[in-house]
Amino acid sequence: MKTEDIRKFIIENTKADDFSCLIREVDSHETRFAQNGITQHLAGPKMGITLNLSFGKKSGSSSTNQSDEKSLLQLIKTAEDIAMLAPEDPEHIASAKEIQLPKIDNVSQATLDLSPETMVDIVQRSIDKARAMDALVSGMCEKHHHKLCMFTKNGFHGKDEFTIFGHSMTLKKGDVETKVSYDSKDYAGFDLDSLFARLASQAEALKDLKSFDAQKIAVILRPAALMELLRYMGWMLNRRQSDEGFTPFTGMLDKQCFGELFNFSSTRTRDEIIAHSFITGWGMPEGIPAQQTQWVENGVLKNMPVGRYWAEKTGAEPSGIFNMYIQGGDVSEEEMMKMVPRGLIINRFWYIRPVDMKRGELTGMTRDGVLYFEDGEIKHAVNNLRFNEIPHEMTKRFLALGKEELASASAIVPTALIGDFNFVDKTNF
Amino acid sequence: MNYLDLAMDAALSLGAEYADIRIQKTTDQVVTMRNLSLKNADIRILDGYGIRIFKDGAWGFAHNNVFSKEAVIKTVNRAYEIACLSAKVNKDKKLRLAPERSYIASFKTPLKIDPFDIPLSQKVEMMMDVNSMMMAFEGIAQTSFHMIMHKDEKLFASTLGTRLEISHQFIDPVITATAIYDGDSQSRTFDEGGRAVGWEWIESMDLTEKAKQIAEEALMKVKADTLGPEERRTLILDPNHLGLTMHESVGHPTELDRVLGWEADFAGISFATPEKLKNYQYGSEIVNFMGDNTLEGGLATMGFDDDGVPGQKWHIIKDGILNEYGSTRDTAMEIGLDYSRGCNRATYYYDQPINRIPNLYLMPGKEKLSLGQLIADTDDGVYIQGRGSFSIDQHRVNFQFGGDFFWEIKNGKLHRPLKKVLYKSCNPEFWNSCDAICDERFWRPFGVVNCGKGQPSQTARMTHGASPARFRNIRVGGSQ
Repeated sequence: MKTEDIRKFIIENTKADDFSCLIREVDSHETRFAQNGITQHLAGPKMGITLNLSFGKKSGSSSTNQSDEKSLLQLIKTAEDIAMLAPEDPEHIASAKEIQLPKIDNVSQATLDLSPETMVDIVQRSIDKARAMDALVSGMCEKHHHKLCMFTKNGFHGKDEFTIFGHSMTLKKGDVETKVSYDSKDYAGFDLDSLFARLASQAEALKDLKSFDAQKIAVILRPAALMELLRYMGWMLNRRQSDEGFTPFTGMLDKQCFGELFNFSSTRTRDEIIAHSFITGWGMPEGIPAQQTQWVENGVLKNMPVGRYWAEKTGAEPSGIFNMYIQGGDVSEEEMMKMVPRGLIINRFWYIRPVDMKRGELTGMTRDGVLYFEDGEIKHAVNNLRFNEIPHEMTKRFLALGKEELASASAIVPTALIGDFNFVDKTNF
Repeated sequence: MNYLDLAMDAALSLGAEYADIRIQKTTDQVVTMRNLSLKNADIRILDGYGIRIFKDGAWGFAHNNVFSKEAVIKTVNRAYEIACLSAKVNKDKKLRLAPERSYIASFKTPLKIDPFDIPLSQKVEMMMDVNSMMMAFEGIAQTSFHMIMHKDEKLFASTLGTRLEISHQFIDPVITATAIYDGDSQSRTFDEGGRAVGWEWIESMDLTEKAKQIAEEALMKVKADTLGPEERRTLILDPNHLGLTMHESVGHPTELDRVLGWEADFAGISFATPEKLKNYQYGSEIVNFMGDNTLEGGLATMGFDDDGVPGQKWHIIKDGILNEYGSTRDTAMEIGLDYSRGCNRATYYYDQPINRIPNLYLMPGKEKLSLGQLIADTDDGVYIQGRGSFSIDQHRVNFQFGGDFFWEIKNGKLHRPLKKVLYKSCNPEFWNSCDAICDERFWRPFGVVNCGKGQPSQTARMTHGASPARFRNIRVGGSQ
């Protein structure tokens, strides 16, 4: 059954007092390569239908990936049976109402048109380039076409559609390992030659590696590194978790809890990144319009993502982080190196995990290349290091921001110069 | 319609050197209670099939959720086309498959009471009782009870002639109490990590009593002292904590695909390279790790892996020496092994199977030793229970772990509770610092149900196990 037929069938056959339904479809092609050969190569469609329904304040939910009539009737019956058996939920709210949703433009024809043959050719050329420099390359070339449709008993009807093309490459030559990636809704912006040139340049810079001990030191976080660190703030910014006392942002709304150079929003004005039409919930359907939202402005916490129940309870507008735009500046990496006596340039982080949720403290490792600079110039590469840092405190040590870059299909992030980054340990490579 | 034969015949007629089909229906019941609000009561079903074709040293994998003759044939064709495309790239780097025989077999997780037969109302009532009891403690600000009941029903056929019918289930209850005191918030969690057993396991545990204990300990923890600056100390780690430590520092480094660099772009590689086999002192002489996909109740015990290779038991580390890896048919041949250890597993029907950690456990100490004796024999140290923060570098060398509850040990006794304790160590220092392991009376299994790996990402499950063990001279201190 097609999406619209599924929608009509569920509306006609659901007897519950209220319901929300989300239909997700994705068609993917993924080519994984490692050490100059393809190790995995997969393709196929996926779909999922999730139905949340309720009788009074008693709710149940069910999901299936089959869209024939029998399966849909079973989906409805299972959700209804669960709802009948469930206790009344003191936090139950009615499904989302009809609402004007933002218009979307997240589909790239170039990505849709990309053939498996072209993707394999991209992989082949990546391997050829690595071989030409006597190196090994590993990575992933992937394309996805997502479609979402959500509807409720109360008239909410949202559609979303987006494409993603990604190509990542990790180069290994001797002891040097480094990575670059392109991740965007639009394949048309992909240029393998320039991406590989950056990879080769990174690898060249990492040839001369010297031991370096953990310490507090200035860092230049390249966009991928800054994005990875800031992603973890998403949970900590949750309004309910904060109101109830579990995050560092309890009672901090409208207060200066970030550095003045830090501006963070979910944006609808940057065409390069995906801006969804609506936001789904943790347990799926919720249906919050994905409106332009400034989360942090000049270091002041202006808004916090909040689900529909807590929004209704507190009188807030429901909202969610649907993409990440960190406002940049115009300071180049070369200029940044001259602004501090010495420091490290970080390409990426890895294995970031919370250490202390209440303080907002995270740990993680550097990955894919760390460069030591002094007196305004790069001196040599150093070993990878472990950090323990509190990101919102770290933003108070922002010294300069560089040009904004596409860091992923849903993030625009600049390079940042940050003082006294807290490294606590080192590893042996 | 016999889709198994249809797919295998179609693959062979196309010219596949090897092919398999895995028809897999996954059913999850997920119930989440936050305080007394039922946040989720859900049954999720994923039903479909994945077809792998091996041709000219390369794989092609295609999946579908439509069950018809036309859809199966179309999926076989797509897998074959993809394999042929891959083979063009692999012409100088052909994969090979370790030999394997055919099997006609079935496997079913042994269970007395199917968790899916227990009415939701009974589960919810139990969860509400547990959360109510924890909420009655003054200072407990949030409680949660999250339970997953999972079932995989698989039919597997390969061009070797193998035909398998597998039904694998597990259940995983997780209870958390969060306390707030003096501007701090601390949680304590009961989490055995899941076990491949029936509802009888839930009935055998007094969850209300366990919840009472974690509520009391959450309150103790939020009011506890911190440890102060990092210094070299003795650590005693409980089996639950060790489950995660071994997962990260032994399990992942001994996955052969990582060793070969197949995860270089994402999950990382391994320091435990092949020239270290049979000679590398990974741990002290009392450290013995078994890979064991026959372990009763193990999350990776499912009779056969998704290569159609039977579950096995083998030494990964023997008397402290790196002995062997966890392998698959395609990784084994890369280091000259003519057999696979049966570690190829996919999460859902649409996932191409990859090299995963088997059930992996630390063997108990051979000498009689209780936890009480171990603590009594420790003048100054920290005893860590449960799992907390964890992070390790992409070669699996340097790591930092927290925990869920901490006791300072002074003069052979539990002296005071602590919070926010971290320890830092690395391979091979950590496992070589192990100087005592309690005996088999104290050995306990703990599952991991959220092992993320691969591109596209998959979440695998496996069981670990240990008796409490002691580690000397480890860097231990408070957070930041």
